[in-house]
Amino acid sequence: MHPPTETPPIGVAACACLTPFGDAPATVAALLADRRALALTPVLGRDGGDAVPLALLSPMDETLPPRWLPDLHSLALHLPAAPWGHARTPVVVTSSNFGVGSLYAFTRDHDTRHLAHGTPFATVDFLRREFGWGEHVTVFSHACVTAHLGLLHATRLLHAGLADRVLVFSFDFVSPFVAGGFHSLKILNGTFPAPYAARETGAIGLGDGAAFAVLTRDATPFRLEAQSLHNEMAHFTANRPDGAGFDTCAVALAHAARGRRVWVKGHGTGTLEAGRIEATAFARHFPAAPLVSWKGSLGHTLGSCGLVELALALAALSAPAPKIPGTVGTTGPCFTDTVALAPFAADTFDAAVLASNAFGGAHAALLLTHA
Amino acid sequence: MLERFIHHLRVELPPDDETADAARIRLREKFPRQAVRRMTHLGLLVGSALDGLALGPDDALVYASTFAETCALEDFLTSFPAASPLLFQTSIHPSAVQQVLIGRQQPLARLWPLAGRARLVEQALLTALLETSPRVALVGGEERGTWMLAHAMASPRSFAFAALLTPDPTYALGRLSFTPENPAPPAAPCPSLEIFAQALATHQSLAWRGAGGTWVLSWS
Repeated sequence: MHPPTETPPIGVAACACLTPFGDAPATVAALLADRRALALTPVLGRDGGDAVPLALLSPMDETLPPRWLPDLHSLALHLPAAPWGHARTPVVVTSSNFGVGSLYAFTRDHDTRHLAHGTPFATVDFLRREFGWGEHVTVFSHACVTAHLGLLHATRLLHAGLADRVLVFSFDFVSPFVAGGFHSLKILNGTFPAPYAARETGAIGLGDGAAFAVLTRDATPFRLEAQSLHNEMAHFTANRPDGAGFDTCAVALAHAARGRRVWVKGHGTGTLEAGRIEATAFARHFPAAPLVSWKGSLGHTLGSCGLVELALALAALSAPAPKIPGTVGTTGPCFTDTVALAPFAADTFDAAVLASNAFGGAHAALLLTHA
Repeated sequence: MLERFIHHLRVELPPDDETADAARIRLREKFPRQAVRRMTHLGLLVGSALDGLALGPDDALVYASTFAETCALEDFLTSFPAASPLLFQTSIHPSAVQQVLIGRQQPLARLWPLAGRARLVEQALLTALLETSPRVALVGGEERGTWMLAHAMASPRSFAFAALLTPDPTYALGRLSFTPENPAPPAAPCPSLEIFAQALATHQSLAWRGAGGTWVLSWS
């Protein structure tokens, strides 16, 4: 059994996100109103294909400059001023897509200008130039748990005294590359996702999303109290059916959350087996905690989902008379009775577990606490 | 100062013209027959570098690759409009490590896949030195690309390395250290992943400044 949390708490000095609904407060408002950003869209954009649920900030076909650039500039307006990308104020970029849509565009129209942001390193070099960041920009890419890696790495840099503040910056925009890939796996199909619903067919949606967090050792109203990672390495795309991977990740946070009143934002993409195992595991370790997923509305923002959903949790908790959005897109019956379909008041809770999963049976979770 | 000591060390530096099929024949004894057919060139090289290194569920692995699964990416892109599910999952970073560890059914506490370029080695080393697990596998590698190489989006050479880093100096092959300095010194060029792999292979010492301190790779 892994030790309980292996990092001390860290402060969240700033956090923001961008989704097809807008910024974090606007997105929370839309989720509370039970709105769905996903819309049926040709899987290959202008090249057609089956209609699948995508939540997009702009038409999916890649442009020059890349379609994500204006949105990232819009998000970056909210960044606290600092000499980002220098030794004491490093940046951690997390994504699973980076600019891979540009590679797909290059293979269609052979315009070499797409290549300036087609690979992870080229994308990050491009971002450094756009945002004036220094060269201390670390790049992680571990599919759908990537943002959690960025947060934990930033935490470690701060606790080691190697940085004063760390910017974790994440973005994933849907392209025919990734939509076609998930469609080939049959889990992106013509059905809208219904996370944790016990139904005949599973389905996910994909969504555009970008977010950042600035972490600090300073006291802040919200803290990442504990973080946990685990890698099953049992199967490329499936989890161990006994739920051992979920258990290993959750048990560390359950230990850290003792005595707290917790709600859980799960991964909840809408796939059946993973949803069942996840809901069951959280019900086992947090039996009194309502479980929600927001991917039935926003789709899965892939490597950025951990940070996008952290920003949404913070926005929900920061609102007057805070309410936590329910599991949009799901009407029941569900795998467990802990699944919260409707919004609920946040004032009876003092902590949240936010979890993500990825290919390879990768598990990540953090415990968010607030005063 | 942060430091770790190098124990298991294995470096794969195949000839420039080695293909995935040739690597599959050369290295087939190291992998289950069913698995080796589907492994990528990079997966085979990483698996060979990790051969003999037993990992446990509480260990961590830091994996550095600028270009990662180039050939699967190239082939997946050309598979459209009939996108290949196998090539899709194989093209996703960190597939090379997953090919090996899923083959072994080997869980890990933490897996840190990095994908930068200019300071990738330094960032991977810092990630390893900050690990709380006593045993950290430091793994890196690239595979030679085809059409992406023509556009400088792939490595011209294939290689891989794996080193076990622990706090124990006893019988260590070498040592990796980072000494923070305040104020932070100006950063100097960081060795490339390929230069670092060659230094590991030849037990060549390295030293440079970056990330707010001084880095040293030295040998026993």
